[in-house]
Amino acid sequence: MTSVEEKNTFFRDLQDNEELMTEILGGSVDLVKRRITFHEHKNVQALCYYTDGLADVTHIEQFISDLLYKGNLLLQHATLPTDNPLTLLKEHMLSSASFQVIKEVGQAVDGILSGVAVLILDGSNDVFLIQTKGWEKRGVDEPQTEQVVRGPRDGFTESIRTNTALVRRRIRDPKLRIEQMTVGKRSKTDVNIAYIGDIVKEGLVEEVKKRINDINIDAILESGYIEELIEDAPRSPFTTVQSTERPDKVASSLLEGRVAIFVDNTPFVLVVPSFFWQFLQASDDYYSRWMTGSFFRAIRYLAFVLSLTLTSIYVMLVSFHQEMIPTQLILTIASGREVVPFPVLLEALLMETAFELMREAGLRMPKPVGQAVSIVGSLVIGQAAVQAGIVSPFMVIIVALTGIASFAIPNYAASFSIRLIRFPLLIAAGMLGLLGFSAMFALLAIHALTLRSFGESYLAPATPFQPKDQKDSIIRFPWWKMQARPMGVTGDEKRVGDNQFPEPPNTDPYSDEAGNRDEDNQKGRDQSKRKKSRHIIKLKGDDEE
Amino acid sequence: MKVQISNGMFFALIINMIYAKAIGVTQGSMAREIGGDIWISTLIATVQGTVIMSLVIFVIRRMPEGDLIDQSERLFGKWFGKFVALITFIFFLAAFGPIMSTFIFHLKDYFLPEAPILLFICAAFLIGTYAIFFGLEVIARMALIGVFSIIALNILLMLGTLPEFDIRELRPTFQMGFIKTVWASRHHNADWAMATIMAGIILPMVGDKKSWGKMGFAGIAYGMVFVIMWPILEAGVLSPETAAQYIVSCMQMARSAQIGYFVHRYEMIMVAFFALSMLTQIMMSLLCASVAMQKILGLKDYRKVIIPTALILSTFGYWINFNKNRAVDFLEGWWVYISVGVAVVLPMMILVLGFFFKKKLKKKIVAEEAK
Repeated sequence: MTSVEEKNTFFRDLQDNEELMTEILGGSVDLVKRRITFHEHKNVQALCYYTDGLADVTHIEQFISDLLYKGNLLLQHATLPTDNPLTLLKEHMLSSASFQVIKEVGQAVDGILSGVAVLILDGSNDVFLIQTKGWEKRGVDEPQTEQVVRGPRDGFTESIRTNTALVRRRIRDPKLRIEQMTVGKRSKTDVNIAYIGDIVKEGLVEEVKKRINDINIDAILESGYIEELIEDAPRSPFTTVQSTERPDKVASSLLEGRVAIFVDNTPFVLVVPSFFWQFLQASDDYYSRWMTGSFFRAIRYLAFVLSLTLTSIYVMLVSFHQEMIPTQLILTIASGREVVPFPVLLEALLMETAFELMREAGLRMPKPVGQAVSIVGSLVIGQAAVQAGIVSPFMVIIVALTGIASFAIPNYAASFSIRLIRFPLLIAAGMLGLLGFSAMFALLAIHALTLRSFGESYLAPATPFQPKDQKDSIIRFPWWKMQARPMGVTGDEKRVGDNQFPEPPNTDPYSDEAGNRDEDNQKGRDQSKRKKSRHIIKLKGDDEE
Repeated sequence: MKVQISNGMFFALIINMIYAKAIGVTQGSMAREIGGDIWISTLIATVQGTVIMSLVIFVIRRMPEGDLIDQSERLFGKWFGKFVALITFIFFLAAFGPIMSTFIFHLKDYFLPEAPILLFICAAFLIGTYAIFFGLEVIARMALIGVFSIIALNILLMLGTLPEFDIRELRPTFQMGFIKTVWASRHHNADWAMATIMAGIILPMVGDKKSWGKMGFAGIAYGMVFVIMWPILEAGVLSPETAAQYIVSCMQMARSAQIGYFVHRYEMIMVAFFALSMLTQIMMSLLCASVAMQKILGLKDYRKVIIPTALILSTFGYWINFNKNRAVDFLEGWWVYISVGVAVVLPMMILVLGFFFKKKLKKKIVAEEAK
């Protein structure tokens, strides 16, 4: 018999096919083989292979019972072996889209291992592929890492099809394309690429596909693998690929002309290209009223600045530039530091490390224990350290503020990047004062300026400065003002129609405008006319008074 | 693909290239000569700077694919090109002295008096080489942010000093005479010289060739607007006599600025905004010097000469600034003559030679385009 590597197609003889499959699949307990006989008179043998746990057994049972019933009827008048039993079955039973006839062994094996049932009939080198995928999966739940006050509560799950469906539910546009890819020599992980055909940035889909196709790895267990293998700046502390658990975030990204990458077995979907400022934006910003959204966004920008620089600035000022601190404040700081035996830099590093330890311990431990660790940790480390004279009370406040600020950043990966770059900044500021701080900050800024995410500048729209895109940067402009999609979108560039500024209708029956109201409504809301009519109502009100 | 920057970035580079030194160090030098007329001298220098910038833009427009060095090479061959590259290198080598003086005087004198000069040189070396490794686009983008920080700095300073402003300090005008006021403008001309020679090197990389002139003038006009506030305030708030006593008069004014009762001593915030312009000067002089060095050696990529060029410039910067008297003498003496001399003579020479050898230049351009 030919070896497995050489054999691409099935044999006609069932015995040979059985041996071939045994050789490939081995004797794993979860791989089920069922022998079926059609029409006992003509003794047509068949084998059904599927993976227990991945395939829906009820579906398979139903299929087999249908097959036995119809198969017996069909084969009663067939002349074997002249009539190919599979052709007969194919012609009469392929009413369902979940049946597929294939020839290749590899395809059949991949199918079995991904939850599909394979039926091999004696006397045919074609086989049936029956879509019977069905395994236990977690239900749609609230995202753990990106919670919102206002907005949808559904988050992605580990099932790729559920995830694409969650996005499809939000964008019922036929132009929303979802393309299938498989990555991982052994894992053969399903990867889907989603984009909206007529607004995606030119060349972006091809670039994403090329990068994913170039991946040569044995297994993809999470989207983090893909992220690390396709990103533009693999040596940078900044993350240039956005990952999210929120379907609404993915949907909004697609509507901005970006591409989403779904990976099976993970609730984290990747979005490219990504920009630094997006990591400071939360879904709530768009669902709350624009003033509220803008306010919270501004708070997050402040949190970013505090998280990155507060400890460094404190260390720099206290170590080198005491004259910059108001006298009363420096006296308070000095009295707190009187008993501390360490230099400020060491004190800050100790506290920052302790904070990171508490955060990591709280995260890894079971929930109730984790909470206890964080509370006990903060109490013990904070209070006891101050009482023992190891750190000053001011330092505890600074580190706590920095920590809280880092948690205000909505994206965990971005928050972690900022925490990471805080340390070189802190060390430089603590060792060289203003010079160290500014030099390190400049180096980080230059580094960030050099970064690109799938051809787009990472710091856009701040630099290169794009005036039109400023409507969704620090301030989230109201929807009736954000008419255009971000720069670079091809095709359907307009997102919001003209004259969307909402106003109550004209209620004055004597106004000329009232007669033309219907016409006006059809044409769109003309703001200038409304202002005029409002003026008329106001005048009328004055007369009545 | 050849690096291209937008016209807005070119505009930002011009502003940043003059700003850092012009607002303080230059004003101090001018105040020592003409007292309260420093703002008039600044305006006169801007007019002269505009003329030189127009000249450079005109020269480069004749052959938009090449910079001043390339054009010289096409006019009189390889060795003449190398000679012009050497002049350009010397120009930026000399420029690095006053640039480092500005950097060191601001940080060392006002924030870190005990820190050794070498530390500042090393920081500039590190940041400069790292930035120019990534090319002009990164520096230009940083300069674009620099324009916003310049606006922020100007607003902060105005808020802190306007209540103390006394217009009588600016009167009488031309108290030292017209000629002396015009002559004092040479200090600010030296700042404009850096911007014009920089333009002579980077213009071919600026995207829209049609609006070079427009953006060049806009850069000069906005640069003037951002700078002119400083001599007016320095004279009107500090008084010309006090401004003349400080090498970095802007820092002295920033130190005395106060917003209301509670916000004072915020010069560190102002220096943070100022830093981008300062760093742009460091990066651009290193970049232009590296490009000149590359052309002297006939290399294809300037990246190979970044480290040696930066070492030469840093050594010179250290030597100049190691002795403060030497630094100030160079800043107010040699540097002014070198910079103004090169900025006027070099483009003028290429312009005149190009005029006489117009046909030759055209032939070469056509032949290269045909290739």
